[in-house]
Amino acid sequence: MIKKFVVSLMVLIVLSVVAACAQSGGNPGPAGDSGSARSSVNLILGAYTTPREAYGQLIPLFEGQWKQKTGQDISFEASYLGSGAQSRAIVEGFEADIAALSLEADITRIEQASLITHDWKDTPTKGMVSTSIVVLGVRPGNPKEIRDWADLARPGIEILTPNPRTSGGAMWNILALYGAARRGYVEGVPAGDEAAAQAFLEAVLSNVTVMDKGARESITNYEQGVGDVIITYENEILVGQKGGQDYGYIIPRSTILIENPIAVIDSHVDKHGSREAAEAFVDFLLSEEAQAIFAEFGLRSVDPEVAQATADRYPAVEDLFTIDEFGGWTEATPKFFGDDGIFSQAIANVQRGS
Amino acid sequence: MKNVAIPVVSRPAFQYDIWRRRLLILIVVAYVGFLIIAPLAALSAGAFREGLGAMIAVLAQPDVLASFWRTLLISLITVIVHGVFGTITAWVLVRHHFPGRSFINGLIDMPFAVSPVVVGYILLLLFGRNGILAPLLTFFDIKVAFAMPGMILATLFVTLPFMVRELIPVLKAFGVRQEQAAATMGANGWQTFWLVTFPALRWGFIYGLILTFARALGEFGAVLVIGGGVQGRTETATLYIFRALDERQYIGAYSAALVLGLFSLILVIGTDLLRRKEK
Amino acid sequence: MTTILGSFSHKIDRRENRQELPWGRWGIRSIALTYLSLMLIIPLLVIFKDGLQGGLAGLWRAISLPVAWHALVLTLWTAAVMVVVNTFMGVLTAYVLVRYEFPAKSLFNAIIDLPLAIPTLVTGVMLVVLYGPQQALGAWLVREWGLRIIFAPPGIILALLFITFPFVVRTVQPVLLSLDRVQEDAAATLGAGAWTIFRRITLPALILPVTSGALLSFARAIGEFGSIIIVAGNIPLYSQTAAVYVFGEVESENRVGASAMSIVMLAIAFVLILSVDWLQRYRQKGRQ
Repeated sequence: MIKKFVVSLMVLIVLSVVAACAQSGGNPGPAGDSGSARSSVNLILGAYTTPREAYGQLIPLFEGQWKQKTGQDISFEASYLGSGAQSRAIVEGFEADIAALSLEADITRIEQASLITHDWKDTPTKGMVSTSIVVLGVRPGNPKEIRDWADLARPGIEILTPNPRTSGGAMWNILALYGAARRGYVEGVPAGDEAAAQAFLEAVLSNVTVMDKGARESITNYEQGVGDVIITYENEILVGQKGGQDYGYIIPRSTILIENPIAVIDSHVDKHGSREAAEAFVDFLLSEEAQAIFAEFGLRSVDPEVAQATADRYPAVEDLFTIDEFGGWTEATPKFFGDDGIFSQAIANVQRGS
Repeated sequence: MKNVAIPVVSRPAFQYDIWRRRLLILIVVAYVGFLIIAPLAALSAGAFREGLGAMIAVLAQPDVLASFWRTLLISLITVIVHGVFGTITAWVLVRHHFPGRSFINGLIDMPFAVSPVVVGYILLLLFGRNGILAPLLTFFDIKVAFAMPGMILATLFVTLPFMVRELIPVLKAFGVRQEQAAATMGANGWQTFWLVTFPALRWGFIYGLILTFARALGEFGAVLVIGGGVQGRTETATLYIFRALDERQYIGAYSAALVLGLFSLILVIGTDLLRRKEK
Repeated sequence: MTTILGSFSHKIDRRENRQELPWGRWGIRSIALTYLSLMLIIPLLVIFKDGLQGGLAGLWRAISLPVAWHALVLTLWTAAVMVVVNTFMGVLTAYVLVRYEFPAKSLFNAIIDLPLAIPTLVTGVMLVVLYGPQQALGAWLVREWGLRIIFAPPGIILALLFITFPFVVRTVQPVLLSLDRVQEDAAATLGAGAWTIFRRITLPALILPVTSGALLSFARAIGEFGSIIIVAGNIPLYSQTAAVYVFGEVESENRVGASAMSIVMLAIAFVLILSVDWLQRYRQKGRQ
């Protein structure tokens, strides 16, 4: 009798496990006939957190258009994590069909894992789907009178910026700060003086109150009332404002251009049989219609016409530089964020001094 | 838990005795108030800010319900597995003696000290694309990472100690004599276990199940790393809360948290009530 | 952890448990062993293999980096402070719950278990919302006393106190409940004050559950992540704990650093647990 009970218990466990796997759909649909021959296709998007709202609008739009054009139903699954985390998840086995991330280095990682085999940069926009800039978020009325980077080093200012170890956004922030300093756009820091630039970085870092794990966490913290200034994407500020949040922002005279890449992941789309739909989605995102929506949600368009049309909302930056200022990510990441990197040294110096 | 001991000796009823009593109660209530009740109140206030209707509307969304269902499923499986194997393990650790027993005993508490991120990370090392077991998984076409099995394994790991820890003291205290008596009267292993041992273990067992369940409901870090939080596929209730916070949907986040918390709390209280009724 | 009959464990004759029972010894042992191997031992082995890639020297190098070392020390001392406070308040709370009566006591008793049920992520959010520097209390503390709680080490201690609160209370409560009060009453008749009675009669009987609960809290605190990452501020070399450091290292693909730190955290918890287990058995031996 007892034996029967135990056996039925085991059966129950096994059934539950099987049900669980089936329920959540362990494997996406098998690769079979070409996409258009099937009545529905599943697309999995692995993105970073910032454009969540934009994709919330873009995805249904694409689903409708695709259905009209091909008669095929699309169901989207989206995951929004920190750019690095998402990139790593894809490398570790998350079978995303499309990766839309914050920085090129995260796509390169996927490429190096041999999951992307085509030249994803071979597009009119060099593989980028949107851009933004690093700005300084301030409280309504700007009570602390933040005008530019130099003000961040003032004593008593509390700053929020995420941790570069875990956040792509934070890396952009640090590079923007350092780059502006090195290029001579920070008062008191001579152009080309690396030591002075690092000293400035340390002065700013000593004012950082919280290092959240990601850009979105950072700004929601700011919204709770923590901190005087937040170093963040222009995009995050605009989305927040659109959602009713009350803060302003300052565009520094010199800042970095954040370029967000997108790529179809070859080995996954081939496995799932979703290549046609995936490539169409990426093309769609580069269309004027989609770019206009990106612009609605705070992202600067890569489409020149849309950029021109929205120029009033997205003022030009006096001195805009890119990651090339630092020799690309392959050079910048170890130089700044490695164990002996400039950032790591700066943090150590800040704490030693305090 | 009522104090049922009747004093044999009448206690000195000094004035300061009563005040000391009151002061101690006050200290404890204030401490618990600041530490636990205030955050709980803030949570409820946040959840109910736009009224019960808004709360229900948010929680009734299909993806939210799906995430709760996933959490429930994972937790139930966890409870069943630990219920069976945790009991057996506790039994072996108490009744059997073999070299390395204390070592194993010490290991049981390890999941407490392991950071959840590390749990997810270990599972990726084992089951990820380049993981140690990856070839085996591809051969059988099983998906563990970024799917339910991985999340179940993560939850199993972090909840392991509860069942065993709950049962060991009870097994230790409940002597071997009755079991031996049953054996001499001709009972076989299973009969002895079910008719003699288990009834005495009953409440320890149930508490173990409840604690395991509560912990499984609230698991976040490990499940995030091994599951990826894909909406509609690997999002659990806690991952939904995480997403809701990111999306600034505070009512959704706080309501879901409140539901999770109250659910476990009701289970614990319910068990306690049942137990007292039996006595 | 409700150890119903825990108070009797020191009375059990160890020899009794030792006697072999006549059924399926190896069958049942292998089930337990398989379960433990799969669920516990293999995962632990994986971390050890990963972190010891560079041998013990590599491990030491990874741990002795200033950021890593500071994170470890911070974790240990904040956990230690928390254990002291938690033990004290836990025993007090258990005492008040068992010995005294007051209105709404049952409800109060139930609330004690709440931290076990709330996801740690939410705990962190709530603590920031309530006690953060943007709120009245937090701002006042910074202004008047220069004391920062949230986004600083005290915030870590606060979060840990919340999460581990039930551990000591629930281990002490049942033992206290089943304590025979004869000795205490006798002491009272002899003129001992309440504090003396507590200190010299009640407390010694509680040593076992108290250390057990304290240890459990400590182990739990070392690995805590979900609430800390929200509450602590996570500034390296200031308010970044070991678990958050490990997260950062995993995210920046420093596998050795992540595993090395994890090994050290595990080793510390393991040594502590074993020592207390040994101490308890030593004490049991002493009584026989």
